[in-house]
Amino acid sequence: MNRTYIKILVVALALAGHEMNANADSLPEGVQVHGFASQAVISTDHNNFFGNTENKASLDFTELGANISWRLNPSLQLSAQAVSRRAGETDNGSPRIDYATADYTIHASENTRFGLYLGKIKNPYGLYNETRDVAFTRPSILLPQSIYLDRIRNFVLSAPGMAVYGESVLPIGNLSYQFGVTRPDTSDRETEGTFLGKDRPGKLKSDAFYIGRILLEPGNGHFKLALTGVSMRAHYQPGAPDALLAGNIHFDAWVLSGQYNAENWVFTSEYAQNHINAQNFGAFLLNRAATGSSYYVQGTYRLTPRWSALARYDVTYRDNNDKDGQAFSALIGVPAYSRFAKDLTAGLSYELSNNWLLRGEFHHVDGTAWLPYSDNPNPAATSRHWNMWLFQAAYRF
Amino acid sequence: MIRAAHTMAHALLCSCLLFGVKTWAVTIIVNPSVTISSASQNAVRAMFAMKLLQWPDGQPVRVFVLPDDNPLHRTFCKEALDIYPYQLRQTWDRQIYSGTGQAPTEVGSEEEMLKKVASTPGALGYVRKVKPGDRVRTLSVSNPVRTFSAE
Repeated sequence: MNRTYIKILVVALALAGHEMNANADSLPEGVQVHGFASQAVISTDHNNFFGNTENKASLDFTELGANISWRLNPSLQLSAQAVSRRAGETDNGSPRIDYATADYTIHASENTRFGLYLGKIKNPYGLYNETRDVAFTRPSILLPQSIYLDRIRNFVLSAPGMAVYGESVLPIGNLSYQFGVTRPDTSDRETEGTFLGKDRPGKLKSDAFYIGRILLEPGNGHFKLALTGVSMRAHYQPGAPDALLAGNIHFDAWVLSGQYNAENWVFTSEYAQNHINAQNFGAFLLNRAATGSSYYVQGTYRLTPRWSALARYDVTYRDNNDKDGQAFSALIGVPAYSRFAKDLTAGLSYELSNNWLLRGEFHHVDGTAWLPYSDNPNPAATSRHWNMWLFQAAYRF
Repeated sequence: MIRAAHTMAHALLCSCLLFGVKTWAVTIIVNPSVTISSASQNAVRAMFAMKLLQWPDGQPVRVFVLPDDNPLHRTFCKEALDIYPYQLRQTWDRQIYSGTGQAPTEVGSEEEMLKKVASTPGALGYVRKVKPGDRVRTLSVSNPVRTFSAE
């Protein structure tokens, strides 16, 4: 497949969509076209993040997307979005269908709504997952990597399956929920790296992925409180020469999210726990189970209608019983600091217009728990303490 | 005398606040094809959030809004919907970039708003004031705390 050609197509569709949207009357009744684009510059003093960034400036982080939706009637909408994402060695920009969803509303009144999503659907994980590739919907250039680990984004992001959703107006506030069953693709390098230590000759295949989120919004959404639960079963199909046997992975996680929205302040915090259980892979990947935990606290402040500032402290531990990673390091031989990460982030955003956004941010990190494997193939060559600068220009329509 | 008038005015102001009768600086308007004349704040908020997509008679709702940074849009969000404009934008963004909904149609000015709402069946929008001769109807919003009369 000629990637450049498809990329030109995505851009052309985005531009055409923008033209049509600017002149919405030219689109058929009920049809909307939207899209987004972003380009970042990233530099680090040690380690590589989304490209060759160590003591260099890299342009290897680009996001492009365009979607079309068709509201046939008040109870049926068809939508699809194509996304091309370059992120160093972790994502090569080859376009993919991000979602292709039929949304069927079974019932809608002023106080209750519920319905079904069918097709390739987006997963509601925490507060930011559904639109995590659209810079405008994120608080910062990078989402807190503890909870929105970009390494395992592929199977959390969207997958073929179905979900039920609904919303009710209760005296305490709006209550909305979504429960889904999907079958995500878990065979990419970063996902295998997370569960099997590195990219393996065989394939990690998911059996089922269950996800549910309940969101309560007291005070017309000035407060948000959410609980997400995820459970995945996957099995390994060994390759032709393979040190691993046909083992199983069980992955379970839950996220507790809270947010306070004031006129100029937004305060957000999320806490997550995950449990990974790897069994029956044979002598070269011993049976192991670990419970990891993550949290961040984040404040954004609107300085003027166009300028806003962000501060965040983000922490992740891969194993609660081995927070400093010493035991894992002694057993496996990788650096102990690859089992945790503490990230202090400060950022500044400037909205040029409703469609253009400029951002800059600085990360001071202790640990490499969320450093991409593909950008840093040799764990021994990484550094525990590192700094990262990012700049991004983003556009949407 | 002046003091008494002042006290009376003060009492009147207090009772207005107490009984929640208040005239807003914004009037919600609908196309004449819309058969209802009042709706709850929950229903109006759900319609502007693009979540409640039809009127009680089944007719599709067509929502028109001014740009996010328009002062009347800001007033409308805070007074009529009791949310901040950025929250409404977040709701639309989540819907349009996850395939779960759409965004309202944006118009550039109040004149265009009046024109679109007058000419689009099922249309819903807002202006500062409706003048005699405007071919739109007003929609009053009721909720347990505040009663909105559109004069």
